[in-house]
Amino acid sequence: MSTDVTSHRDDPAMTITIARSERRQSLWAQTAAMSSRSITAFLRQPALVVPSLVFPLFFAALGTSSFSQAIDLPGFPPVQSFLDFALAGTIIQGVLFGSITGATALATDIDNGFFDRLLTTPTSRSSILIGRLAGAMAFGGVQTIIFIAVLLPFGLRIQSGVLGAAVMVLGGVLTALAVGALLSIMALRTGSPEAVQGSFPLLFVLLFFSSAFFPRQTMTGVYRRLADANPISYLVEAFRDLTIEALSLGAVVRLMVISGLAALVTVTMALRALNRRLVKP
Amino acid sequence: MTTATGPGADDAPIQAEGLVRTFGSGELAVRAVDGVDLRVGAGEVFGFLGPNGAGKSTTVRMLTTLLRPTAGTARVAGYDVVSEADQVRRSIGVALQDAAIDPLMTGIELLRLQAVLYGVERSQQKRRAGELLERVGLSAAGDRRVGTYSGGMRRRLDLALSLIHEPSVLFLDEPTTGLDPMSRMTLWEEIQRLNDDGTTVLLTTQYLEEADQLADRIAIIDGGRIVREGDPAALKAEVGAPTLFIDVDATRTDEARAVLAAFGDPRPTAEGTLGVGLTAGAAEVSAVIRALDEAGIAVERLELSEPSLNDVFAEATGYRLEGAETGGAATDEP
Amino acid sequence: MTVERLDDTAMAAGTASTTAVPRGVGSGALVASALGLAVRNLRNIRRLPSAFLPALMMPLVQSIAFSGTFFAITQVPGFPTDRSINWFMPLAVVMGASFAGIGIGFSTVRDLESGFYDRLRMAPVSRRALLLGPLFGVWVRTLILMVIVIGTGLALGARLTGGLFGLAALIVVGLGVSVVGTGWGLGLAYRFGDMRASAFMQLGLFLALFLTSAQAPLSIMTGWLYYVARVNPFTPVIDLARIGFVEPGTVERPWVGLVALVLLAAVAMGFADRGLRRLSR
Repeated sequence: MSTDVTSHRDDPAMTITIARSERRQSLWAQTAAMSSRSITAFLRQPALVVPSLVFPLFFAALGTSSFSQAIDLPGFPPVQSFLDFALAGTIIQGVLFGSITGATALATDIDNGFFDRLLTTPTSRSSILIGRLAGAMAFGGVQTIIFIAVLLPFGLRIQSGVLGAAVMVLGGVLTALAVGALLSIMALRTGSPEAVQGSFPLLFVLLFFSSAFFPRQTMTGVYRRLADANPISYLVEAFRDLTIEALSLGAVVRLMVISGLAALVTVTMALRALNRRLVKP
Repeated sequence: MTTATGPGADDAPIQAEGLVRTFGSGELAVRAVDGVDLRVGAGEVFGFLGPNGAGKSTTVRMLTTLLRPTAGTARVAGYDVVSEADQVRRSIGVALQDAAIDPLMTGIELLRLQAVLYGVERSQQKRRAGELLERVGLSAAGDRRVGTYSGGMRRRLDLALSLIHEPSVLFLDEPTTGLDPMSRMTLWEEIQRLNDDGTTVLLTTQYLEEADQLADRIAIIDGGRIVREGDPAALKAEVGAPTLFIDVDATRTDEARAVLAAFGDPRPTAEGTLGVGLTAGAAEVSAVIRALDEAGIAVERLELSEPSLNDVFAEATGYRLEGAETGGAATDEP
Repeated sequence: MTVERLDDTAMAAGTASTTAVPRGVGSGALVASALGLAVRNLRNIRRLPSAFLPALMMPLVQSIAFSGTFFAITQVPGFPTDRSINWFMPLAVVMGASFAGIGIGFSTVRDLESGFYDRLRMAPVSRRALLLGPLFGVWVRTLILMVIVIGTGLALGARLTGGLFGLAALIVVGLGVSVVGTGWGLGLAYRFGDMRASAFMQLGLFLALFLTSAQAPLSIMTGWLYYVARVNPFTPVIDLARIGFVEPGTVERPWVGLVALVLLAAVAMGFADRGLRRLSR
């Protein structure tokens, strides 16, 4: 969809010449304002934020204790402990949990009319969306830092060092953007917070049909083929390589490309969904 | 106010003595009901009025065995509401505030469930459900899910449900709140009919008109205590003076109030209007106008109202209940 | 204005009155009333499928996802079965059955919020009927669920090594944990009276069931989980559920599981019963 959201103005030519630089500036300001609103919203809802930190850590702890002997199985990558293996899945799980919050907030905005009120203001339409996702992105980065920080005293080893961990945080930000945008599409299409929350089990199932919790190499049959075809597998493995292997340019690039590409695709789709909403609300 | 204790008062189907209910404990304890005495005689329709949060619903919940009194006793249909709760339940019918009905069930299903719970014999259940549906004019809608019913239909079904076991005492908690005038009228007629058949009715309501129409006797509760009780006509006579409502230019309200004070006590009113109880009666209206005129205050609107339950209510509680929404009394009961 | 007390003599006389002899019929019989409530509960399978289908799908997806993802776990030396579906399908039944139980907690919260529950509480029936009715409904739901999940599990290659006795054990455990879930769900619903209860219902069961031998047998566990799972009464219950699907003899004390199950069910229903009584306090 190519509808320019500003094209209904009386004199587009004039608007553009006068306001181009101003607009760029205000776009940042607007996005920043929207972002701070969405970040505040995160902080004000501990009941939504806390589970997205606690559950992934719980599963990591559970898996480490239950499956400690599994690391010797054929097909398992060389790791010092199951915890090293589990970190990547923990991050993705956390981001999935966390992104629901932002997308639900967007759907609630649509549902209660706040979104429409935003649209009647001269706020740039894309900054509304990006502002919403910026909150999720910041949270994704913070989650990654927290997961690593909490698990380090329990024996987590990041083979790629501090630099690798920093790249993982960036990967967490991009993944949050990708997942947040994906859920925003749902929010924009339905405008129903319930529908967004209802989509969560589906995402969780997708996560299970990937290598998030166990190596693909140990799976068989149809299940293996599903995990092979699941993009989440590759995203998880990119995080995992940075945890269990020494730092390499290849691993860094892989994580950036995979998470960046995922974000690019879903954000484009979300902006389209937004425009479609604007054309026929 | 002294409760009538004439012959037959002993048999009163609803009696409460010193009923108290507190919520919470220690510093935060709230006395929602603070020593209520009630006596409703057999065959009476008793109107129970009060602003939101005054203790109406809490009192009704205690009388209907849903909540235990903190202190005091109550007997309904001759049974103690705490120690003989089961017998009380068998004797009473209750239509609840907001007609709380499972929207996924049909009218007939609800009636039959109710019949089972009240031990109506299996062979009778279907007939009874059919009769009641007809009685409240819902025969055609009996097979539809309650979720599709209008507000008025829900209330009527609610009433039918409360009648499944032919109770001798009926509690109606705000039975017509939110209904359109037509539906309200239908329900009033039905309540009247039930009362004619000998059913004792306790009715809580926000609508004074409703109490005026239906109740033989009313009680007004405020702050957990009964502040007025008696039959509506007597209570109105007690307030006595008719009320004159006057609107004047907003900048001169205070002057006007001073002028009016000479003619009687001020009465609570809606924002922007002045009210005065005319001590010397309606004939004083022209004198009031003259006095205002001499003070150079122009009267923008004027209305004289004979004493109504509303005046009784306003005098007793300081609130005026026009419909439901009145300032200052917004909190709902716990 | 104060309230004047009633005349003392009138008060004394009033207590003896029994004028208003109920024209009504009597109390609802315990079983008939409970069945009436159970029918209502079961009707909602069809009328509110959005509440039942997820409860049915969850154990199905869980048994497939866990046995697919952790396919290789049975190769760990000392694992009591060589088929991952044998290990995870009974777990899914236990979890599904307990969540079917707390499903009644959710619908009771709805009834409490709408005020419908007041109507039930005012009915002259034994308080037991208010607990047993939903429980009967949950049992039917659990049986449906077990037929589907066990059937699917067998179709996917689960092997009933313990014969019909083993199958019976799984069914008994399924029905038993559904009682535990029902008691827990109802008890919390009564205590909170609103949707806050649902978070506690799910979280409580989730923790109780996962801090066990849910994922791996005690014999291969390491670390903190071993100590928690060893004393968690749900561990012998889950072991008992698996008795028909693991190597004969690996469940050493099936009676402990049965006793634990009975005790847990009794405690949970007692919790619900006390909550119901508290409603009127």
